[in-house]
Amino acid sequence: MLEQLLIFTRGGLILWTCGNALKGSPIDTLIRSCLLEERSAETSFSYDAPAGGAAYTLKWAFHNDLDLVFVAVYQRILHLLYVDDLLAAVRREFSQIYDPKRTAYDEFDEIFRQLQKEAEARAEEMRKSKQSNRASLVAGKKQGAGAGQRAGGQGNAKQKGGKAGSGKDDDDDGESGRGRGLSNGRENGIKEPSRARSVVVKGKDNGAPEVGAFDVNKLQRLRPKGGKKTDTGGWRASKAEPKKIVKKNRVWDDSPSDSRLDFTDPVDEKGDEIVDVGKTDHGESMMDKEEIVSSDSESEEDEEVESAKPGTEKKGWFSSMFQSIAGKAVLEKADLKPALKALKDRLMTKNVAEEIAEKLCESVAASLEGKKLGSFTRVSSTVQTAMEEALLRILTPKRSIDILRDVHAAKEQGKPYVIVFVGVNGVGKSTNLAKVAYWLVQHNVSVMMAACDTFRSGAVEQLRTHARRLQVPIFEKGYEKDPAIVAREAIQEASRNNSDVVLVDTAGRMQDNEPLMRALSKLINLNNPDLVLFVGEALVGNDAVDQLSKFNQKLADLSTVPNARLIDGILLTKFDTIDDKVGAALSMVYISGAPVMFVGCGQSYTDLKKLNVKSIVKTLLK
Amino acid sequence: MQDMEQWMHKIEQWMHNIEQWVRQQPVEQFYAALAVLIVTFAFFAVLRLLKPAKSNTIVLAGLSGSGKTVLFYQLRDGSSQQGTITSMEPNEGTFMLHSEMEKKGKLKPINLVDVPGHSRLRPKLDEFLPHAAGLIFVVDALDFLPNCRAAAEYLYDILTKASIVKRKVPILILCNKTDKVTAHSKEFIRKQLEKEIDKLRTSRNALSTADIANEHTLGVPGEPFAFSQCRNKVTITDASGLTGEVSQVEQFIREQVKP
Repeated sequence: MLEQLLIFTRGGLILWTCGNALKGSPIDTLIRSCLLEERSAETSFSYDAPAGGAAYTLKWAFHNDLDLVFVAVYQRILHLLYVDDLLAAVRREFSQIYDPKRTAYDEFDEIFRQLQKEAEARAEEMRKSKQSNRASLVAGKKQGAGAGQRAGGQGNAKQKGGKAGSGKDDDDDGESGRGRGLSNGRENGIKEPSRARSVVVKGKDNGAPEVGAFDVNKLQRLRPKGGKKTDTGGWRASKAEPKKIVKKNRVWDDSPSDSRLDFTDPVDEKGDEIVDVGKTDHGESMMDKEEIVSSDSESEEDEEVESAKPGTEKKGWFSSMFQSIAGKAVLEKADLKPALKALKDRLMTKNVAEEIAEKLCESVAASLEGKKLGSFTRVSSTVQTAMEEALLRILTPKRSIDILRDVHAAKEQGKPYVIVFVGVNGVGKSTNLAKVAYWLVQHNVSVMMAACDTFRSGAVEQLRTHARRLQVPIFEKGYEKDPAIVAREAIQEASRNNSDVVLVDTAGRMQDNEPLMRALSKLINLNNPDLVLFVGEALVGNDAVDQLSKFNQKLADLSTVPNARLIDGILLTKFDTIDDKVGAALSMVYISGAPVMFVGCGQSYTDLKKLNVKSIVKTLLK
Repeated sequence: MQDMEQWMHKIEQWMHNIEQWVRQQPVEQFYAALAVLIVTFAFFAVLRLLKPAKSNTIVLAGLSGSGKTVLFYQLRDGSSQQGTITSMEPNEGTFMLHSEMEKKGKLKPINLVDVPGHSRLRPKLDEFLPHAAGLIFVVDALDFLPNCRAAAEYLYDILTKASIVKRKVPILILCNKTDKVTAHSKEFIRKQLEKEIDKLRTSRNALSTADIANEHTLGVPGEPFAFSQCRNKVTITDASGLTGEVSQVEQFIREQVKP
């Protein structure tokens, strides 16, 4: 049963509510972590009340024209199928009695009770009809099994239709595909929109083969699959892969000389005394320089937009012009689709990950559907404005990125401020660590570097050179040591000699390398740093999504405390190598929710700056 | 082609006729028309220059959860309705304050804007500040200490915006939720905010000559910061949005939006 149903305006006023009081604050959390993060196209949101409260699932619907939000909350263990229907019905009924001046809608109680009964009844009916449908289909399959090839041919035809349906990515087609045939569901198996639906489909799949549609399934299995796996098949395959490959010394054909060629001494202190490099001063770090942003006028951008869209049909343009002059057209999903597709393509040419662009476009569509077009505005310009707002919202940091203030706060408490740099191989962690150290030193903060990259050859020396040039102390323990222990000792050393900041350099690691990720999460859990900075390069494409989500997931899974430390900030590197393909910034911020704290735009000490949100949004939508 | 030529010919004839008609009119009419035009333009130009154009917009700003939306509805309707949640969009309305509905006499309606406090929606504040006649910064007096830093940062950002400093917009710091017993006093909050802003001043203006984030500096260098050092008037007061004790807020609003 529904725990609560809430109707509120986008401005924050609750108009009507029905149900029991909820534990914790699920609605607030929904707004902060889902709707304001442009994930409003997802189907549901799960919330765990803190301190052993209940677990809820939340579903929502928008009425974009009247700026209303409808949210239904129910216990997660119940799988209520009628909630979407109920939300749609409530939206319909409420919009008829809604008046912007009124704030109390007591008569809606009756209407709601009625709607709830109707929705529950409908759900019961659908469930019963599905059961009877399954029984009749099973009987049909038995007959088909007798015929053999004919059924296979039918299945083939049905499958092609089903594939076309899923290709269109339409909700309706997906549903009808599900009703059409169980063998279809198995082959389609891919983009089931919601978890609940896929659970239902899989349930039916398991049901049918047992009962008797064996011949048809065997035929389909015999047919070459060509890489079309179902979700479960994919999972099982990946789990079965053995991970027992031990790294062996690579043996070449010529006889190798086993003599040691690595002359790094464990702790080379003489290095500091022999070479006395003067403290480098390259001038002001670009963090402190103001950026001059060119301000193009809005109309210029619009003209470019028009000229850059070659594929619009003439008839479509004409009718949209008509509607734009007449105004008052209600935006439908079909109207938004071409404009959104063009926007999505444009985002992807700017190196935004495909998944992110898709989710963003869906979220913008969810927020525009049902809205009335103002007069003299085209659909494309409305979509453009909405997308611009959404991008601005995502890229605006939700926590303060003022590191100096945090450093001062930690200084008052008497502890050093610890920053850990993590990332995959070769993104520029050590170089950017030196840049951050340079910037901090310029602001009269005493820095200490900790060389916890004990794996890569030359890493400790590299950091030592930087430390010498910037004249900051460095804590190192050589190679082949446990980085977590090195970090802990470094922090103790820093608190002993009163350093304000400790910059911890870690080894690069791929996101799906299980032992290395475990070592990283051990380092973070043991030392509890103040800032976990993920270093990502701006050249990365779709892999950014994978990297960040796997890093966050591993840090959350392997954490020993309930409130796991996740990635707190992003350092975007190699920004000078991309001209205007700045999409990696958007992908990373969207998938992790962490703000971009620094941007590395070159290879010398001064090339570190802050992210200018407005210029990035402008570049993305140019 | 012949049609085109005929059209062109007809147009030429019309133009010719019009010219002749115009020439036949007495010259004085033209002068009269021109004079009327000039006088009208001059009139409007003078009006725009002379009119002080005092706007009637009051902006409610503050951290998320400090009680702005409750205050908005309290000022508008006299009750906070059934409750509020985190706002996703600004609430705007032009109305007479609820307590003044009964008063007779011509009072100017107020345009009250409640800007969401969520950090992702901060840029929305910049849309409303250029027209603001006054700003009310709402602070949660109950849950003050955990949010002290964030509140001070937001207040610092507002106090250093060009549109506030240049137009000397008066600011009222409102300690909300004072109906609860454990709410802090306004003196305590004022001192804490001043201390935090002082620290922010030093960290933001540390060494760089270019003021990267803020457009103006606050206070007198060398002295600890106090709100009295601001060029625009900053006052602090108590209120409670839920119970309706908002008399001082209304007083402030009335001062800024004079009829």
